[in-house]
Amino acid sequence: MKSPADLAFSTSQRAMLYAASFIVPASAREEWRREWLAELWHVRRSCIRVDETFSLEAQREIAWFCLGSFADALCLRRQPIQPGAPPAHVHGSAGQTLLWLAAGAGICCVLASLLPGVQAEKEASRNQIGSNVLLIGDAAASSSGASISTGLFRQWKTTRQRFFDDLAFYRVSRQRAEAGPNSMMWKVAHSTANLFSLLGLPVILADMDDANQKVPVVILSRKVWIRDFGGDPRVIGYAVNVDGARARIAGVAPAGSWQLPGAPDVWLLESDREMASEAMIDVNGYVFARLSKRGMTEWAGPAASIAARDRLDNGMDLYGVPITVPVEGPWNIYGFALFLAMLALPAVTSVSLGEGQLSSHRPTAKQRLWRILFLIAKFVLIALIGFYASIDIAYFSTPEYSPIAECVQLLACFAICLIGFRWAVADQRQRCPMCLRRVTNPATVGLASRTFLGWNGTELICMGGHALLHVPSLPTSWFGGQRWLYLDSSWEFLFADPIVR
Amino acid sequence: MAVEAKLSHTAAMILQAISAGYVYGFSIMEMTGLPSGTVYPAMRRLERDELIRSQWERQAIADAEQRPPRKYYKLTNAGKTTLEASRKRYPLLERLISTEEARSV
Repeated sequence: MKSPADLAFSTSQRAMLYAASFIVPASAREEWRREWLAELWHVRRSCIRVDETFSLEAQREIAWFCLGSFADALCLRRQPIQPGAPPAHVHGSAGQTLLWLAAGAGICCVLASLLPGVQAEKEASRNQIGSNVLLIGDAAASSSGASISTGLFRQWKTTRQRFFDDLAFYRVSRQRAEAGPNSMMWKVAHSTANLFSLLGLPVILADMDDANQKVPVVILSRKVWIRDFGGDPRVIGYAVNVDGARARIAGVAPAGSWQLPGAPDVWLLESDREMASEAMIDVNGYVFARLSKRGMTEWAGPAASIAARDRLDNGMDLYGVPITVPVEGPWNIYGFALFLAMLALPAVTSVSLGEGQLSSHRPTAKQRLWRILFLIAKFVLIALIGFYASIDIAYFSTPEYSPIAECVQLLACFAICLIGFRWAVADQRQRCPMCLRRVTNPATVGLASRTFLGWNGTELICMGGHALLHVPSLPTSWFGGQRWLYLDSSWEFLFADPIVR
Repeated sequence: MAVEAKLSHTAAMILQAISAGYVYGFSIMEMTGLPSGTVYPAMRRLERDELIRSQWERQAIADAEQRPPRKYYKLTNAGKTTLEASRKRYPLLERLISTEEARSV
């Protein structure tokens, strides 16, 4: 009967050997472990006392013996099997292929998480302007620019509306702004305070202390936030001078709000009193209106003409168009590109895996299952690479959401997935159905130009000694596609790599 | 691969011990007084250089003696040649580990 101390020592000694065995290359690990455990048994046997217990001195000696296993394991680790060449059982193996694909997907994923444009696209697809918000313009205006004067907006704002439950306005002007030592020219949108709530964009205004309550607030566009402030989140609360007037930065507009007309750099939210300045009464700007429930029921089509009265009570024709620009978001574009790639795959390659056989031997059901799982794993990893690599390409030099980047993403994703899937199918055809390693050592047999009815093509062999692959150079009625010839055990002595068997 | 390189004294001692009949790791350790962290890596290198070769004991023998099978080492022809050269280089080698001593163990 072992004492608890002996049991603990014995366990720790075996644990040391097991831990050291993980340093040993996998191909030699089992045998190495077996040898050391056998040696340990003999060492313990030589140290045991008559009463079947161990002295502390003996335990220490055994522990020193076990510690030596780490030096031995390191020695084996440093000892290459074939200097300069990877081990034969690793080269071209299924595991190695999946590892490379997973590494590629991982790198693309990390890169995507670092690109600001990718975040902007995701944000833009989340923060879309409601479809019940219309941009109102004068139908008589020659261009689609700002066409409603501040005074007219004020008049409408104070008049009861039938189809709209709220109106917002801004006018854009280029003004010099100063933030600390930096001086910039901004397109400043002097807007009503309700603009973002009417548009339904989630701008969270920072709380200002009492001293700053009366100072106008500025909302930065995402572009300006990144360009002029380096995307610093601590910028909230900074004081800026806009055209000589003091203001405080109170928030950053979410990505996607650039779709607003006039492409403002910042929005200066002004009170009704400031908007009512007589000096600005004739300056044109943009009016946004949110449809009421009644307006929604009356609304039909993508645009509508609206009858209104100007300040002199004359009739005027207006148009109203929704300002929603559908943002697909990365996943919708990806799904579409993936669907297109799958659809186009049979057009660029044969989807047959070359299952023809020359012999009666067949892979087992388990081997066939592994083969299918391997193909699926390759497709999944290529699809992942397609997603991340395409958004990396699209937003590599674009820090902002843009429809052009979305097009680039669609094209890149389609191309990567199509080429990748084609490679996956071609690679699968060249893999031994038994061990999933790539067949090697191609040998050309016969030449099509010199043989008439004789077979000509290429023969490849699995280095595990499982099968030969015959690929005809010219498909004929009696040998249309590639075929596998499974080798029986009499071939085994030719192959020196037992690990893959 | 026949290696005509000069062996270290430790490697020569291990070769001599194997030649003397100490054919597994622990017995070589006991004979030479070297720690396991020296003996086993040295044996790996000797085996890599084809100076010794290893062979597992038959399971039936180990089962009969109720112990795990051991891995035995023996000298190759190249190992014997190298040991001869080492004995000339280290004249005391044979006196340190004599063949008779092993046979009496």
